[in-house]
Amino acid sequence: MPVTIPKNKYSGAVREVTIGATKAEGGTRTTTVTVGGESTLPFLFHEGAMPHPPRIAVEIADRWPADWSPLLREAWGDAVDDPVAWAKAAEASGADLILLRLTGPVQRGDGSKPTAAEARKVVRAVLGATGLPLMVFGPGIADLDNELLVAVAEEAAGERLVLGVCEDKNYRTIVAAAMAHGHLVDSRTPMDVNLAKQLIILTRDVGLPMDRILMDPSTGALGYGIEYGYSVMERLRLAALNGDSMTQQPMLVTPGEEGWKLKESKVGEGVPASWGNWNERAVTWEVLTSSTLLQSGADIVVLRHPDSITEIKSVIQRLMAPAHNGHS
Amino acid sequence: MADNDVCMVQFQPGGAIVDAPAGTLIIDAARQAGIDLNIPCGGQGRCGRCAVVARAANGTDAIKRRSTLRLSADDIAAGYALACQTTITGDVEITIPPQESIARILTSDKTARAIELPFEFDRDRQPLRSYLLSMTPPSLDDQTDDWSRVQAALRRATGWENGFAIDLPTLRRLGTVLRAAEWQVTAVVEWDTWDRPAGPPRVVDVQPGDQTSHLWAAALDIGTTTVTLYLVDLVSGRVVAQAADYNGQIRRGEDVISRIIYASKNNGLAELQRLVLDTINGLIAQVCEFRKIEPQQIVKMVVAGNPTMQHLFLALPPASIRLAPYVPAANQYPTTRAGELGIDLNPQATVDCLPGVASYVGADISSGVLGSGLCSVVETNGDGLPVLFLDIGTNGEMVLGDCDWLVTCACSAGPAFEGAGVYHGMRATLGAIEEVWINAQTFEPTISTIGQEQGERPRGLCGSGLISLLAEMFITGVIDKSGNLNFELYDQAKLATLAELPTFRGPRVRQGEHGGEYVVVWAEDSATGEDIVITAVDIDNLLRAKAAIYAGCAVLAQSVGMSMDMISTVLVGGSFGKHINVEKSVQLGLLPDVPWENFQFLGNTSVRGAYMALLDREARQRIAEIARSMTYLELSADNSFYDQFTSALFLPHTDITLFPSVAALLERET
Repeated sequence: MPVTIPKNKYSGAVREVTIGATKAEGGTRTTTVTVGGESTLPFLFHEGAMPHPPRIAVEIADRWPADWSPLLREAWGDAVDDPVAWAKAAEASGADLILLRLTGPVQRGDGSKPTAAEARKVVRAVLGATGLPLMVFGPGIADLDNELLVAVAEEAAGERLVLGVCEDKNYRTIVAAAMAHGHLVDSRTPMDVNLAKQLIILTRDVGLPMDRILMDPSTGALGYGIEYGYSVMERLRLAALNGDSMTQQPMLVTPGEEGWKLKESKVGEGVPASWGNWNERAVTWEVLTSSTLLQSGADIVVLRHPDSITEIKSVIQRLMAPAHNGHS
Repeated sequence: MADNDVCMVQFQPGGAIVDAPAGTLIIDAARQAGIDLNIPCGGQGRCGRCAVVARAANGTDAIKRRSTLRLSADDIAAGYALACQTTITGDVEITIPPQESIARILTSDKTARAIELPFEFDRDRQPLRSYLLSMTPPSLDDQTDDWSRVQAALRRATGWENGFAIDLPTLRRLGTVLRAAEWQVTAVVEWDTWDRPAGPPRVVDVQPGDQTSHLWAAALDIGTTTVTLYLVDLVSGRVVAQAADYNGQIRRGEDVISRIIYASKNNGLAELQRLVLDTINGLIAQVCEFRKIEPQQIVKMVVAGNPTMQHLFLALPPASIRLAPYVPAANQYPTTRAGELGIDLNPQATVDCLPGVASYVGADISSGVLGSGLCSVVETNGDGLPVLFLDIGTNGEMVLGDCDWLVTCACSAGPAFEGAGVYHGMRATLGAIEEVWINAQTFEPTISTIGQEQGERPRGLCGSGLISLLAEMFITGVIDKSGNLNFELYDQAKLATLAELPTFRGPRVRQGEHGGEYVVVWAEDSATGEDIVITAVDIDNLLRAKAAIYAGCAVLAQSVGMSMDMISTVLVGGSFGKHINVEKSVQLGLLPDVPWENFQFLGNTSVRGAYMALLDREARQRIAEIARSMTYLELSADNSFYDQFTSALFLPHTDITLFPSVAALLERET
């Protein structure tokens, strides 16, 4: 007897969001990245379409962040001291997009405060160094984020940057800057379906078109609450597919940031021998976290280590393969 | 009629006539005639308070309505028009109806608001009765002891053939009273109590002379935040005085959990009991002062309250209420005597604590279900649909059912809706702001204060004022759907325009000492001489409170497989229940979006249930039955609550389709 595989038919689909603008579109990017458009759960090609593969954003910083693992410095080499070189290295490593983090006083190590003028300069330089679409995240301190991102938005008007991060208590200024200068925003909420949806509504209420919002439901790393993050993303995606308009945004998650803040990744000495090789352990952590989140609907994963980028690129390729092999 | 024509406008009552160019707003013509119409919403056509009746002098249309918001088709047919939204196009007579005045009668007022009898009172259906006894004094021929003499007289008066009981302290006073009153006394007899249904009858008090015209008793509700007392005359069955005050325990914790924790500290339990007794004794003193009676004349008290409050009142250790598996010491409490607890009533008065359901659903709810008349509402509706009963207090409790079945749950809302735990919050007494309208263009508020007719100045915000304020801030965009204050309301252009307003004293959204805030009243207009503000923290507290209550309702409905729109009637109780504004509450997403006529606001249903139990044995029994028959849903064991809670933590709700009327309003405003 032939087996019929049951198929779910969904009424909704994820919105398509395009990051970056070419010269013809008012920017200077040589390529743009479009994500979203799914009408099924991740990689279930027999049920619906997944027109765009998940993409990899590589996180670099305006200067070496003092709280990053020495392994990352080792991997990127001297490039980490120069955002232009770092951006080029990231592109060479296989990035689809670049995420530029503007460091805050703590990450800078010397306690100095970043200025709007510096932010403009570094964004301009990175835009010049790579043709990939760019995302710019502030240091995560509300007032500072607003100050820097408003300047960046103006400096890079028309480039369709992703500005981040917008949070429940601090989104209005960043959203307004994105609206005024033709950019997108990253809407981040702490692992909760309702909160994710609420911030999308608030952002929409300010007036930003829905095709310029990425949903960042945040996540925990493997062993640090990933089940919870996974489940939230899955529920958000199901809501989107079932027609809930306010959840139909492509999802961005930051497994690199999560994975690399763990003791397992940051500490190489004084840990049990059974933990094994430090570098291998740390990269595996980032890779496993990312590949898990791809299955729960991530459209963009932000990574930090070049080896992880290679690995995840291959994972995505293999997961997407059936779509191109004519399976239906 | 052309625009440059001049129309004759006559105002009634009074008959003032003014000439107004066609196109003049009625409100402006009225001003010209020296009539100051109330426009709480600042003339935006949102509140509907300035409705007047317009009658054309020559039968044709003499007015043009720009907006008819809040006017029904019947109103319009009757000629009603909003003065702030209607222009004059011809000769017209305008009648100004008496303006609605919200002269609220305070529960703390010495003038007791008439509380209706809940049912026809039959004094034989309750166990207390006083009897006038005339006895022959003892003599050498009749050496019968005092107590036997009283009992003999009682047997004659009542027809009861068996013995009576008496407490030792009463017995100690007996001889003195009998002799001082020359053997003419009033004996107060309690025939039974719920835990002593067969008696024996007990002589509670012996008073000199004939005091049978009144028989005093009390109904009490101990709320986590507010304590309410009714003084009842058991001869007529009527409430003759009432009083309410904040629970003195508040200073040891605002919610039940912090009180339970405090109670487990050294002497904490005794202290908390002392604090609530002080509050209760204060209320007793107030009502006694009002009726000019002595506390000793009050011979019974029925007590409703949530389980924690009852435990603390009785000094039962409440610790297990807080810890899994959440079990109270008792859901049914034995009767006790006032003197034993230290309540200033007749020390021999029976104190009857009503039975509850579970750790967080207590006598306040079982008695509230009775007090709300839920079962009779179901019967009257006759559609078989369940009714939702909500008791909004520091704990929100909700009951859903049709009386054949009842499910209930409780959630912690915090004291915000009772005006506590809010920076400028207060109880609904003189000087409390109870209604607020905010102008959507200028963000300037118009307020209504309790007692303003008597010249009272605002001193704070009570629960209904907070609800009204929050809803207005939301609708006018002063806060966003998450409750964040919008500091960008006032750009330079806006400030320049506003500065020309005579009343403008600077932006009302500002950074204050305690973070962001909105100024409701400037210092020079307040009774306290300081700005009355609502802070970002207050807004968060209120949001959480409303989310908890809505989420509780949603979980309850979900638990029986219903959606909120299947609820036929919503009964709302709670200490501010009578004055809560439905429209504003729905806008906030505190109450479900069902037609307004489906809401009934009942005030304090808990004390009402206690009052009913005081009047009628059967009512007392019904409360016990209700308590027994309710199915209790433990929310802490239910994952869906948290989801519903975060979903409701938004204005009005993350799922706007649950609030179609608010969605329509937002559509209009933007």
